[in-house]
Amino acid sequence: MAFWNKDDKGVALGEEQVLNVLKKVQDPDLHKDIVSLGFIRNLKIDNGTVAFDLNLTTPACPVKDQMRDEAVALVKALPGVQNVEIKMTSEVRQTPQLDKSALKGVRNIVAVGSGKGGVGKSTMAVNIAASLGAAGARVGLLDGDIYGPTTPIMLGLDLPPKSVGNRMIPQEAAGLKFISMGLLVKSEQPLIWRGPMAHKALQQCLFDVDWGELDYLVVDLPPGTGDVHLTLAQAVPLTGAVIVSTPQDVGLRISMKTLRMFQQTRVPILGIIENMSYYICPHCNSQDHIFGHGGGRRAAEQLGIPFFGEVPLDLAIRTQSDIGSPIVLAQPNSPSGRTLREIAERVAAQISIRSYETPVLEVE
Amino acid sequence: MSRPTGTQATTPTKIKKISPGELMVQWADGHETHHLAPVLRGMCPCASCKDEMTGMRMILPIHIPDDLEFRKIEIVGQYALQFEWSDGHHTGIYSFEYLRELCPCPECKLV
Repeated sequence: MAFWNKDDKGVALGEEQVLNVLKKVQDPDLHKDIVSLGFIRNLKIDNGTVAFDLNLTTPACPVKDQMRDEAVALVKALPGVQNVEIKMTSEVRQTPQLDKSALKGVRNIVAVGSGKGGVGKSTMAVNIAASLGAAGARVGLLDGDIYGPTTPIMLGLDLPPKSVGNRMIPQEAAGLKFISMGLLVKSEQPLIWRGPMAHKALQQCLFDVDWGELDYLVVDLPPGTGDVHLTLAQAVPLTGAVIVSTPQDVGLRISMKTLRMFQQTRVPILGIIENMSYYICPHCNSQDHIFGHGGGRRAAEQLGIPFFGEVPLDLAIRTQSDIGSPIVLAQPNSPSGRTLREIAERVAAQISIRSYETPVLEVE
Repeated sequence: MSRPTGTQATTPTKIKKISPGELMVQWADGHETHHLAPVLRGMCPCASCKDEMTGMRMILPIHIPDDLEFRKIEIVGQYALQFEWSDGHHTGIYSFEYLRELCPCPECKLV
């Protein structure tokens, strides 16, 4: 046996020693160490080489690199260790109760809502979904805005979905599976529906679509508090809701109503995104807070919920949306692309937290 | 003192049908509620049992058999229960708040 395989007392380096030091690495979101959380998989010690998988709760983990670097440094410091090989893997947890529903292949359903229209809710939903997909997650997008569906434009695909038997096959674009009422109805035709029709349409988009296995199903809601929201809150156990707002107080006050509605139906609020936060001048790159500043962050602080970030009013976000190529994929490293990807990671982190915290409830 | 509200008092930790006509709910604040099917049926909040405009009760105790049973109990989203009764009715959605508010125990009735 080689000398480097022994520690001070002459005993070979064991799994226990490795796990002991790895216990010092905390997941900052779940407030537990990575060993207790069961993140360490396939630990192998071969001579001076320690290899293991670090299996996180989302591929879009915002602190992935930090945790990996900490783990490498700690294991490397053990006597006799020369090499540390970490494979980063992930397994998205399922929200309790979802496994018993008709959508049992779906692990988390997240609603994106706002109080009023035109705050960029669909833009946020599409870019969050696309970011999670690009990070390696299996993602679906349900455009629940039955009255003004926009995702077919933003994803650049406007063909009716095929169906097998009485089930629809979702369309695929930008690495996402997606369904929109815009795909089902001719684009110039308005939908003039009463409540029960809206209810039925959403139910079909949820249950009559072959979503298959998904880590995240993002549901883009219509503005306000109406039939679609209530149907969604009743039909499925949502992991949580993301609220999109503009910095203006009036926008926020209306978003507050949406927030209350989610609270009444016990849908956890994952956090607030402030969109159109400031304007970036395309000529001189200066920033202007044309709708005021800091409203979203203040509201989040008051309510004690996470603030996901500020998205600028940036021409590039709009033009990328209009040509059906989300900015997080087309220009991932542009300032706005980066901001949106970071927001998606924060959303993913909150979803992971929720999947740990939501208690299992069943009727016995 | 007022009736217990707030998340703890209205978050169920255990929901159990202890007999065909009796439902037990344990709440996060430690309280335990026992609901009898005929009583709960009479408090159905749906639009056909409680007039939407006037709030008047359209179903009265004389309409409900004493031996009414829970045929099916389902959790609605994360905020309510929906019952199918042995009389076939099934459209009422009872929020957790409402179920706690209706707790018939002497302790809750006093406040």
